[in-house]
Order: sequence, then C-alpha cells, then structure tokens
Amino acid sequence: MAASGQLNIDDLAGVVRLREEHKKVTVDTKKLSDDYEALNERLETLPDQLSYDVMVPFGPLAFMPGKLVHTNELTVLLGDNWFAKCSAKQAQKIIGHRMEHVKGELDALSKTLKNFEARVGFAKDLESISANQGDYVDIREDMKCSDTPTTKVRQRIAHKPNSKPKLDAILDVKEEDEEIDEDDTAEGSRKGILSEEELWARLDELEKLEKLEEEQDRLSDNPDINGEDTSSSSSEEEKEGEAVNGVSLKPSWSSVPNSIALPVIDRKEEEDEEKEGDCLPTIFFSHTVEPKKVRINTGKNTTLKFSERKEQKEHIKRKKKNGHTNGHSHHELHKITTPADIYRYVSFVDVRNGEPVPRKSILKSRSRENSVCSDTSESSTADFEERRVMGRSFSHDEATYSDTSDGITEEDSPTTIPLHPPSRFEAFSGTVIEKDPMPSAVPHLTIAPPALPTIPERKQEEVATDVALPQQIPKKVSKFKAARLQQK
Amino acid sequence: MAELIQKKLKFEVEKYTQMQKDVSKSMSARQKLETQLTENNIVKEELDLLDSTNTVYKLIGPVLVKQDPDEAKATVSKRLDYINGEIQRYEMLLKDLEKKSDQQRELLASLQQEFQKAQGLAVGKA
Repeated sequence: MAASGQLNIDDLAGVVRLREEHKKVTVDTKKLSDDYEALNERLETLPDQLSYDVMVPFGPLAFMPGKLVHTNELTVLLGDNWFAKCSAKQAQKIIGHRMEHVKGELDALSKTLKNFEARVGFAKDLESISANQGDYVDIREDMKCSDTPTTKVRQRIAHKPNSKPKLDAILDVKEEDEEIDEDDTAEGSRKGILSEEELWARLDELEKLEKLEEEQDRLSDNPDINGEDTSSSSSEEEKEGEAVNGVSLKPSWSSVPNSIALPVIDRKEEEDEEKEGDCLPTIFFSHTVEPKKVRINTGKNTTLKFSERKEQKEHIKRKKKNGHTNGHSHHELHKITTPADIYRYVSFVDVRNGEPVPRKSILKSRSRENSVCSDTSESSTADFEERRVMGRSFSHDEATYSDTSDGITEEDSPTTIPLHPPSRFEAFSGTVIEKDPMPSAVPHLTIAPPALPTIPERKQEEVATDVALPQQIPKKVSKFKAARLQQK
Repeated sequence: MAELIQKKLKFEVEKYTQMQKDVSKSMSARQKLETQLTENNIVKEELDLLDSTNTVYKLIGPVLVKQDPDEAKATVSKRLDYINGEIQRYEMLLKDLEKKSDQQRELLASLQQEFQKAQGLAVGKA
C-alpha cells in the first residue's frame, strides 16, 4: 500500500500543479473577456464625436496633448498579422465574435478544472484509504485455480446433495450428481472430494449393508433418539433402512455442509483477522477446506476433534480394504465431516458390566461408566476396535441432542446412534467401551436440523424426508424394542 | 563485465534522453501549429464577413501593406492548408519518436537488469 500511497501523493502533486496552471489560464482568459467588454463600450461612444482631445503617450514616460480623429475608422487585427480597416460598428461585430470565442474557451477550461477537482477528490480518498483512516476496507478474494478443470463441476455436485433428503433412492442420488455436475460454485475444495465421495459412497453402501445385518442381530435401542432427532438435519444423517441410499448420499452431503461451513468459517475468521494497521484493511476471502475442529461431548467431559473429511475417506477406503474389520485406525476416525460422523466417534454403546449397553445420548456424560473416559487414548483404541458401527443415523445437532437426551429416561433404552461405517471411524480422544457393537439396526431416521449454513432447498427437502422417515421409524423401533427386550 | 554494462547503460540512457527531447520539441511545435490553425480560421471567418468597403492590410515587419481582400482570403486559405499539412507531418514524427523511445526504454530496462546481475556477481565474487 505504501507504493500506492506514494503514487497518490505524486498524483496529488501533479494535480495540484495542473490546478495552478489551470487557474492561471482561467484568470488570463477572464481578463481578456473583461478587456473586450471595456473595448466594446468604448467603441459605442467613440463615433459620437468627430475628434477627441487626448493626451497621447510619447514613449513610456511622456504624454503629448493631441487629437483623436477619424473616430470611425479602425484598423482591426484579424489575426496572424492580418489587418482590416473597419468602421466602429463593424469592429464591434468582430469583437462580438471574439467574445464568443473566448467564452467558449473559458467554459472548456472550467470543465477541465472540474475534472481535475474530481481527480483530486479520488486521490484524496485513495490516500485516506491507504492511510487506513477512512472507513474503506479492501476486500480481496484470492481465487485459487481449481485443482482440476472439473472443479466447478464437482462443486456443483457438492451442493446438490444437501438440497435433497437422504431418503432418496439411489436414482435420486444419481440425479443429484448429474445436476450437481452442471452447477458452478466457487468452492473448489469439493471437486476432489466428490470423486472420492463416489468411491466412498460405494464403500459405504456395502459396509452398511453388512452392518445392518449385524446390527439387527445385536439389537440396539435407538428408538427414542431416532424419534427425537427427527428434527435434525437429514442431510447429515443416514438411515439404516435406507442404507444404500443414505450411504450413497451421505458422502456428498457430508462434503457439502462441511465445505459450505468451512468457507464461511474461514471467511469469518479471516474477516476478523484481517485488519491491518499499515495497509488498507483487507478482508481476504478464501474458500478453503480447513480441518474442521469440532468438539463433541462424547462422554465425561470428553471432546472429540475431528479433522477433514479426506481422512475419513481414506479411512473408508482403508476400511474397505480391510473388509469391514474392526481394525479402524484411531486417527482415521477423527475425520468428522458431517454430523453423522460424530456418531462414529461417539460410542453409543457403552460397555457396562461386560455387556454392551446402548448409550442414551452422546451429550450425556458418563462419569460412572468405565467405558467413558476423557481423552484416554489407550482405552479408546481398544474400545474402538470393539465397537461396531452399524448404522448411521447421526443427529447433527448437538443442541438437539441435549434436548432429546433430557427426554430420555433411564428406562428407555439408551439411544444408540448407529455409528457410521467403521471406515469413517477415527479414534476420538475419549474412550468408549462398547460391549456391543452399535446395535443400530434402527436407521437413524431423525433429521437433525442442519447446523451448517443451510441451503433453503435443503431444508425443504429435509422436511420432505422427515415425512418419509417417520414411516420407517416405527419399524425400526419395534426391532429395537425387541432387541431391548431380549437383552433385558 | 559490470563496467562494460555500465558504459553501455550510460550510452543508452543518453540516447533515450535525446529521444525524449525530440519528442517534446515536436510536441511544442505541434501545439504552436494548433494555435495558428485556430487563428487562421478566425481570420478567414472575419475576412468573409468583411465587405469590399474596408481595406485589408498585412503586417510585414514594421510595415502595414495594403492587400486585396480576395487575395487576402486566398492567402489565408493557403496558409490554413499549409498549417494542416504541417500538423500531420508533426504527428507522424511524434509517433515515430514515441515508438523509438519505447524501444529505447525497453532496452534500457534489460540493460539495467543485466547490470544488476553483473553487479550481484561481482559482489558475490568479492
């Protein structure tokens, strides 16, 4: 900004000089105009007398008395050393012409003066901006060249999934993808994600199918949570019943809300940060996907931090390779991109007395539970391995959760939220001992209100999905109840 | 090496300044012609307005020489054409000069870069 400041000063100096010159010319022109006026007057009265007694100047210092004769004969300079003998009246005409000419010039000069004034004004503004005195803030957004030419297309895809409920069938997913491909968004971070997401979706589908079967066998109680979480964002949740669809949709959704949220967060952060003293206050916008740090209360004052989705994807891929084994690496599970991911990290099945007991809510601290540890990595690793993430249904809203958790009584089966497919799991700092793998046979039909900036479309569609979801819930509830009964 | 470049640089700079002077000269000449143009236009108009009753004089040095009005008109027109032609010529000249000066400027920039590099090398060596 210093350079521009310098420029401003230079410009100002130049403009000032220009102004001075301009003033001179204006003044001279004005003088000329006045002179002509006086001359005109003189010519009016000159022919009145045949001769005048005048004092004739003799050189610079002396005068001589003399007479002015031939008062009507004037030798007028026409210009360029041309003269013409005219009468007084004709001379007056000539004067009239010249006056018009001069006035025209004066007008032109005043116009240029105005322009200069405007320029000076701009320069002053610029100066104040550069000096950081004004209320001007420079907003810059560095557009990163999309990593691939398909970035825009990818971005589109990212947006679209959020707009539709997860309940959509695979067909819908495909449609969404197609639609997304057409969109153009400025968020380039999604492009890579989508390609991975597709793989991801594939993996998730297969995994979820397997897990569903397992979960149904294990019987977990999640009816309450599921019912309560109906309000949660559907985009983030996957219903076990719609495992395939949900799974396929989830990756894209998860990517979207995250990506949407991240830029927003980034911007905000940057806005706050970008107040430079010397330079123009600049707000740098950047659409970056930064590691999303979210803290989830996974238990006794434990918080889970999850990182980017990419890790999740890798995890999922790895998981696929592992063939849905329990060997999820700890760190891999730390990728939380969607609210649903939270449930992966949070164990909804606590191990009590050697038996897996579904946990009511991830928000509830489990001080008494051994399985719930705060930031104890040792046990968490073990627990994770034991844990089986069956279903998906994550309620994105922690707030919602807290509300719902309150409603859950001890009698109710602890709400076990089916965890995301193990592939997404990452060990979170807290340790949760699961005795039973997530019995999340119940598809998480609850739709948590999207915590991320919501696209209106999404909400509408989520509402639509909410309608569809409840239908399935009853079935699952029954299963859970059956499982619960069995467990009891 | 650096000295050589320095000499070259100086030489080029001089050439450039000379060019700039030429440019400014032609600029001022052109401006003069412009004023003459306007003046002659006015004269032409005035002469057209005059009728045959009044005489036309031309100032040649300290002498006012009587002129025929028609002759005067013709002379003025010719002068006008001449001035226009001159202006055209000067414009062409100005263009060429500006082009040359631009080229010279670029050359100077490149030479300067070389010079700096050489200086850097010299400093490095020393």
